[in-house]
Amino acid sequence: MRGFWPILKRELFAFWVTPLAWVLTCVFLVVQGLHFSVLVKNFSEMASIDSDQTPIQAFFGNTVLLYLVLFLLVPPMTMRLFAEERRAGTIESLMTAPVSAPAVVLAKYFAALVTYAAMWAPTILYVIILKRSGFVDWHVVGASYLGVLLVGAGYLALGLLMSALTKSQFIALVLTALVLLVLFILGIGEFVTRDGTMIHDVCAYVSVWGQMNDFASGVVDSRRIVLDATLVVLPLFVTTRVVDSWRVA
Amino acid sequence: MISVSKLVKRYGDLVAVNGLSFEVGKGEIVGFLGPNGAGKSTTLRILAGFLGQTSGTVTVCGHDVASDSIEARKNIGYMPEAVPLYPEMRVVEYLAFRAELKRVSRAERSKAVDAAMEKAGVADRATSVIGNLSKGYRQRVGLADALVASPPLLILDEPTAGLDPNQIREVRKVLRAIGKEHTVLLSTHILSEVESSCTRAVVIAKGKLVAEGTIEEVRRMRRSPALVVVVRGDAAKAEATLAALDAFSKIEVDASVPRQEGESVATLRCSWKKKIDATEGTERAVAALVAAGLAVRSASAEQSTLEDVFAELTASKDTE
Repeated sequence: MRGFWPILKRELFAFWVTPLAWVLTCVFLVVQGLHFSVLVKNFSEMASIDSDQTPIQAFFGNTVLLYLVLFLLVPPMTMRLFAEERRAGTIESLMTAPVSAPAVVLAKYFAALVTYAAMWAPTILYVIILKRSGFVDWHVVGASYLGVLLVGAGYLALGLLMSALTKSQFIALVLTALVLLVLFILGIGEFVTRDGTMIHDVCAYVSVWGQMNDFASGVVDSRRIVLDATLVVLPLFVTTRVVDSWRVA
Repeated sequence: MISVSKLVKRYGDLVAVNGLSFEVGKGEIVGFLGPNGAGKSTTLRILAGFLGQTSGTVTVCGHDVASDSIEARKNIGYMPEAVPLYPEMRVVEYLAFRAELKRVSRAERSKAVDAAMEKAGVADRATSVIGNLSKGYRQRVGLADALVASPPLLILDEPTAGLDPNQIREVRKVLRAIGKEHTVLLSTHILSEVESSCTRAVVIAKGKLVAEGTIEEVRRMRRSPALVVVVRGDAAKAEATLAALDAFSKIEVDASVPRQEGESVATLRCSWKKKIDATEGTERAVAALVAAGLAVRSASAEQSTLEDVFAELTASKDTE
């Protein structure tokens, strides 16, 4: 893991010293804040609680908004990770320092993941607001954030791979968006395919929608975790091989 | 320090480096010389561990750059040709990052960064954002980066490219100082650069070694090809006088030089015969012209270009 820490620090620096992370965080928090306030308003205007959902569940699960936010957030976060270095040529100074390819890949990945987690961190305020006015099930809160983190982790790994495949940040952005779109459409397939067929099962398995519904109700399903872990490990492994292959090309 | 043996690098059908072998010993400052597209950058990139070779072996400080890459890279301070830097960082931040990446311990890091900035001459821009620096300063930041971990070997790819004459002089001064403590391999396509800062030269063309030698040998390769004299008076008489000296193989008279009205001024380009020493020959030529009653406006030995040297080198290779 030669070079992991300095590269992680530099990547975080690059995220937060340039406006990129701040702009994305702003957009993210505006969308999530609106979402939350609409939810709270609806729940508070109910004459009696006839819903079996809690606000937390409604915030994390059963909503396309969470997915939409990820779709807008992840591609611009990951697009520059490798593409920018290759276009600017800084990859040459980076790879001629005594660093290993896995260290470079993991450092860049964790920088994106930490930034992603930092963007979610302010939303804990929403939970605290709910807690002050009522009951909050902390298990559900924990499971929901775990779900958000796992889904994001997979998406970021895919984005990192796309960034390593091209020298153009724009193409990396488009490729990442396409891959995320395909994953989402596969998930939607759960609702349009017939119950009991294999394609239905596959769709249900990869569905982000289904995963967030589970996690937001406090159900931490190990199958979902296996899927997310695969979506992290496989792209990272391939990215490492891609980085190694640059030396041969 | 460096041992390159039968190095080959192909890009598809293009052979960039073709069976290159050379050595660089400890304490040497070696100029890696060649015209554009000769394979200099490719070779240096392989040495630095950025590119893999197609075949052949390269060892740096006893470590094979392919199989023992990280150990080899630890001994190298490499400055790429384009001097890529992160524009959003300040100079000190960047150098501290590079120092940490190159395993300079936390306790020594700030001292190492200061020393590198001092040597490379960027100490006065330490807190500037790199994106706002001029080309000359960015070049120096690249040099400071190569120096920051005090590696035994420095590999610099065209360290003076794109600089103005003052900056070039500064960088050469820095290189000479650095050469006292480090082994240096620097590439260039400018002959005088090798003469001014190197102890030895390795010359390549089209991916092959064409010459290798000490700086004296390079100087000899570089001997002036011709004497250019400007005389006022009878051009034919001047030509005859010079021809009588038996020092020139060919004399070209050019009367088209701009002149004042009523004057007859001619420029004569006289190619030296093989054995003639240029300095002594110039003295004799001027003395003869003056004795013949002609007014000598200027007499200067023409500087040979790298192309001339290559023509000579490849020609002598063919006759061998």
